Formats: sequence, structure tokens, C-alpha cells
Amino acid sequence: MTGGKAIDIVKSSGKRSTESFNRDKLHRSIKAACLSERSHDGEATNTADKVCDAVIIWLEQRPVVTSHDIRRVASKHLTRYHPGAAYIYEHHRYTI
Amino acid sequence: MTDIIALSIVCLAALIHASFQLSISTLTLMSGHSLGHGRSHMRLIGLLGGFTAGAATMTTLLVCTLGLLLSYLVHSEQVPPVLWAASCGMLFGVGLAVWLFYYRKGKGTMLWLPRQTADFLAERSKKTKNTGEAFALGLASVFGELLFIAAPLLVSVLIILPLTPGVQLLGILLYVGISMSSLLVVATLVSGGHKLSEIQRWREANKTFLQFTAGSALFVLGFYLYVNEVLTIPLAAGGLAS
Repeated sequence: MTGGKAIDIVKSSGKRSTESFNRDKLHRSIKAACLSERSHDGEATNTADKVCDAVIIWLEQRPVVTSHDIRRVASKHLTRYHPGAAYIYEHHRYTI
Repeated sequence: MTDIIALSIVCLAALIHASFQLSISTLTLMSGHSLGHGRSHMRLIGLLGGFTAGAATMTTLLVCTLGLLLSYLVHSEQVPPVLWAASCGMLFGVGLAVWLFYYRKGKGTMLWLPRQTADFLAERSKKTKNTGEAFALGLASVFGELLFIAAPLLVSVLIILPLTPGVQLLGILLYVGISMSSLLVVATLVSGGHKLSEIQRWREANKTFLQFTAGSALFVLGFYLYVNEVLTIPLAAGGLAS
């Protein structure tokens, strides 16, 4: 959680109800994107930590955001550390 | 039509089949999920092999099944012109559809498929953990592409049917081998350690070219077959009669 403050995430499709922000979920998806770009486990964990921290700072002033916003901001920060992983993270939904 | 010309047409149809992208997209997605879950390189190679084998099996099954069904219609060495006319119409129709609709507008390499099919393949590629599941995913991905591959498949089968059994077998092997070539290239690149982002970026950057080439090749093949099999034969028959 973001320093104990609950943040509602509105799902982009609008079909599912809102859910609370889950740092582990974001961490897992960013780490998976880094691993799929053949980063080492430690490097992937490190990058995911940095991106999650940056996203949490961004979330501090926002009580409600969409999952698309989270993805966009995470992708922006991930580009700084690992452009290839950021590309995969952002585009994997547009592959098929 | 000589065997060489017949096999050349089969090769062109197989190349058109190879330019369609659903299997490649599914393979890329499956590889991404496998690497993202930290699975071993050997497991990844197993998945890639299983997927490619599945796609090759489904292509072989489709060619053979279509061949069996059409063999009931084609009894002589000559395929009826009406069948050729229908096949050429299909080639023109699919060619136009590929030009206009093959990729969805926007970023990425999203294809113009029923969304349920695309979502099913994306979901299955995420859950694929072993070679058997990858094999089934390969089967399903070729089946999902049937809308586009039906035209080159049909033409190849009509070309192969009147040939001698030995050449028929060669035709089927050529079709399956060439139509799997793009998938084999991507599978080799992924198993060789290339980054998925590089492969996906290349596909995205060249998608319009691939779309235009596939559509144009369908038109060229349709035009050639229409002139050779629909127009020329009645003309030749008329010339002989007079």
C-alpha cells in the first residue's frame, strides 16, 4: 500500500469493479516484463522496485486512478531503466 | 500444367500463408510469458518446439482434409473451371480483405480477428506451461487464422489434386514447410536469445509492408490462375473445335 493510504483503481474496461492498489501486483508485472527481456533476476527485481516506488510517489496525490493510468506511468518510468521491457510492458496487450 | 509450375504455385501460396501473423503473434506472446515467469531455457525451447509442431500438424491436417473433400468433386485430371473461378474469387476477396482489414488501426500488431478468438489465444498463451499445451496452442492458432489462410490452402489443394501421388506428397511437404518458415525463423530467433522487444518492434514497423505484400500476392496469384485455368482452357477448347 502507499503509506497506508488506500487508492482505488478503476479498471479500464469498466466491466470489473474497482480494486485497491496492490504494489506486489505491479511489481510482479514489471519484473515479468524485465525477465521477458532476458534481464537477470536481481536486475529485474531492482528495476521493478524503482518503478513501483516512482508510481507510488505519483499516486500520493490521487485518490482514484484508472489501471490505464498506472500502466502509462509505470511504463514511462520503466523506459528510463529498461526501454525494451517498457516496450513489452506497454505493448503486450496489442500483440494479437 | 507441368509439375514444376504446379509446385511453384504451391510455393507461392505457402509463402502467402507464411506472411499471416496470428501464429507468430501467439508464439511471441507465449515466449514472453514463459520468460517472464522465469522458466528455464530448455523449457522455452520445448514450448517453441511444441507450438511449431502443433501449427505444422494443423496445417498438414487442413491440407489433407480439404484434399480428401475436394477429391469427391474432382474425378479427372482436370479441375472444373467453376471451382477455379470460385477459388480465384476467394483469392481476390481475401486479398482485398487483407489490404483493408488485416491489422487493426493503432499501435501494436493487433489483427482483425473476432475478439473472442484473440482473447482466447492470448489467455491460453499465458497459461501454457508444458509442451503438450504449446502443441494444442499451435493447433488452435492455425485454426484461428482459417479466415485468411483458406484461400491459399484451397488453391494449393486444387493444384496438388491432379498430380501423381509422389508429387502430391512433395507438394504437401513443400506447402507445410514453407508456410511454417516464418514461424520457424521467429522460434529460432527467440531460442537463440534475441530480445522479444526487437522482434516485436520489427513486426510493428513492417506490418504495413507485410499486409500490402500478402494482399498483392493474393491478387497476383488469383489473376494468374484466372487467366490460366478459367479463361485459357475454354479458349483453347474453342480453338480446337474450330
